[in-house]
Amino acid sequence: MIRRRTLLAATAASAATLAAPAIARAQAMKLSFYYPIAVGGPIPAIIDGYCKAFHAETGIEVTPVYAGNYGETLTKAVTAIKGGSGPQLAVLLAAEMHSLQDLDILASLDEIGGLEGDGKAWLGGFYPAFLANSVVDGKTWSVPFQRSTAIMYYNKTAFTEAGLDPEKFPLTWAELGAAAEKLTKRDASGRVTRWGVKMASDVGNAQWTFGAIANQAGHVLMNQAGTETYFNDPKAIEGMAYWRGLASVHHATPEGITGWPALSPDFLEGNAAIIQHTTGNLTNLRSNAKFPFGVAGLPGKTGPRTVVGGGNIYFFKQASPAERAAALKFARFLTEPARAADWSIQTGYIAVRPDAYQTPALRDYVIHYPPADVARGFLPVAVGELSTFQNQRVYQALTNNIQACLSGKLTPQQAMVNTQAEADRILKPYKRG
Amino acid sequence: MKFATRTLEIAGAWMLGIMWVTPLLYAAWTAFHPADFATHFDLTAPLTLGNFVRAWQAAPFARYFLNTTILVTIILVAQFLLCTPAAFAFARMEFPGRDILFGVVLLQLMVMPDVLLVGNYRTMAQLGLVDTILAIALPYLGSAFGIFLLRQTFRSVPQELDDAARLEGCTLMRRIWRVYVPLARPTYIAYGLVSVSYHWNNFLWPLVITNSVTTRPLTVGLSVFASTDQGIDWSIITAATLMTSAPLLLAFLLFQRQFVQSFMRAGIR
Repeated sequence: MIRRRTLLAATAASAATLAAPAIARAQAMKLSFYYPIAVGGPIPAIIDGYCKAFHAETGIEVTPVYAGNYGETLTKAVTAIKGGSGPQLAVLLAAEMHSLQDLDILASLDEIGGLEGDGKAWLGGFYPAFLANSVVDGKTWSVPFQRSTAIMYYNKTAFTEAGLDPEKFPLTWAELGAAAEKLTKRDASGRVTRWGVKMASDVGNAQWTFGAIANQAGHVLMNQAGTETYFNDPKAIEGMAYWRGLASVHHATPEGITGWPALSPDFLEGNAAIIQHTTGNLTNLRSNAKFPFGVAGLPGKTGPRTVVGGGNIYFFKQASPAERAAALKFARFLTEPARAADWSIQTGYIAVRPDAYQTPALRDYVIHYPPADVARGFLPVAVGELSTFQNQRVYQALTNNIQACLSGKLTPQQAMVNTQAEADRILKPYKRG
Repeated sequence: MKFATRTLEIAGAWMLGIMWVTPLLYAAWTAFHPADFATHFDLTAPLTLGNFVRAWQAAPFARYFLNTTILVTIILVAQFLLCTPAAFAFARMEFPGRDILFGVVLLQLMVMPDVLLVGNYRTMAQLGLVDTILAIALPYLGSAFGIFLLRQTFRSVPQELDDAARLEGCTLMRRIWRVYVPLARPTYIAYGLVSVSYHWNNFLWPLVITNSVTTRPLTVGLSVFASTDQGIDWSIITAATLMTSAPLLLAFLLFQRQFVQSFMRAGIR
């Protein structure tokens, strides 16, 4: 509590010195800000606090509207905008950029003046990996905010028990396969009591897991314009074969589909020694794990590689020029180093800018709790999410084929060729020239 | 032969019943035990009400209960008031184009409400009703299903009763109120149950049209626990789910006999 107050005071003071005479207080400007979480819980309280601080500083009133999960927030925002009374800005999945563009409701940062003055320097201050899903056609469409990466959590007790060094997490696919095999424990009847590794392959998550795996094989799944995909590439097939192999070769992960919601409980109850999850889960595991656990980067074919996730701030084009300017100001306010640091400490999301890690608050925090800093080290080897036009349909095609492959119904080769064929069909209208 | 069919029927009924009740039993088990026992079945596990306390504190549920209650009450009352005269007109009055008009009303049953999301939103925005409980209710006040159901029931009311009432000098409204409505009571109960449970559970439209705590119903509030980013805490979800569905479950258990009989008589299955 004390930390937050001093922080608010500090930001208010610094902003006052920066902004002071030039900007006259806007006349009762009101913005509506859709945010992808339901009402209640700790995160809305943090966002409410930021909005209040922003109001005190600029006189602009931002009303956050908590709108459920990412998918629901998207539906709500699109409906409201098409219905004529939408928000001026919203946090939506970074990977939805192409789909949102297709709906023709976005205003790019270039259009709203985000690159004027010191705007370019500000934008250049974000981690490049977090901007990977923001730029297309030479324009920037979103500002990183609520960001995470995929990360491995592992049970150190299980590592010791299996004769592995708990301070040395596998760095390559081969090492992970071998370690997971050792970590898998069976009872007398052969029933598995602890799986070596678990990764999500259910709807909504399979494509994220696979995005990381493709990067691990040194492969990018789509072009930046979001109009082409490259699933039938030998490297993508190799990645799929590795994932399938964890069950079919190493017998270290369950056959078939593994659900995201079950990963944390499985890990906490010791039914899975390693899980691939999001950095956003750290606080939860930290407060509930009854054993020492470690945080590590995702092993790759030759070395660690991961994928980013989470939501960016988007601006909508039905907003008036004055509203656009106010929305931009709010986005810049949210991503100030001190606030990005506070956000990271309070939620576990990664601060989106390197300079946030220079602030005393965040620097002290990661010294005090080093696991919170592990993910940052892997940002240089992270890629953007799979993001194309008709994003959800491409995800669906990919997920269906991944699941068929993991259940042993399709070979990795077939699964990837099928996905590519379906993706080609879906993306056909978007191919240019 | 007959015996075999009967056994099969009973076995089938039991199987369906078990399938239906299992999630509820699991929810009850998980909600009353600490999170550690969410997937461990252990009879000696300590009982706790902590999950309910945590769930209750996670969101303003008292307000959501109030909102949902207001919502279903508005909808139910309006549906009864609007469907009764419409159904009577279709059942017992002669006017040109009646059957075509009735066909048009039935056509509405084929339209999924989700398709109308944007259209409805636009209407509410024009009326200036976005973010009000009335806006959640408005698209549902007239119900084709309700009209259809009541029309079928009204048609089965013996014409003699109607004639007798008319001879006694009853006005049109009095005839509906004194003759038709009392005889259609099972239909009203059955339809009321369907309507209340549908709107108690409705999610997408309320989510889209509401923005603030003061208007949101329970289902939207419940989704606070569905954020999967942090992993799911089954104990708290099941506690919240039990909490929010309890009024409906209790009402059903208490009035079980009446409900089942109404359904039999009204012919909805």
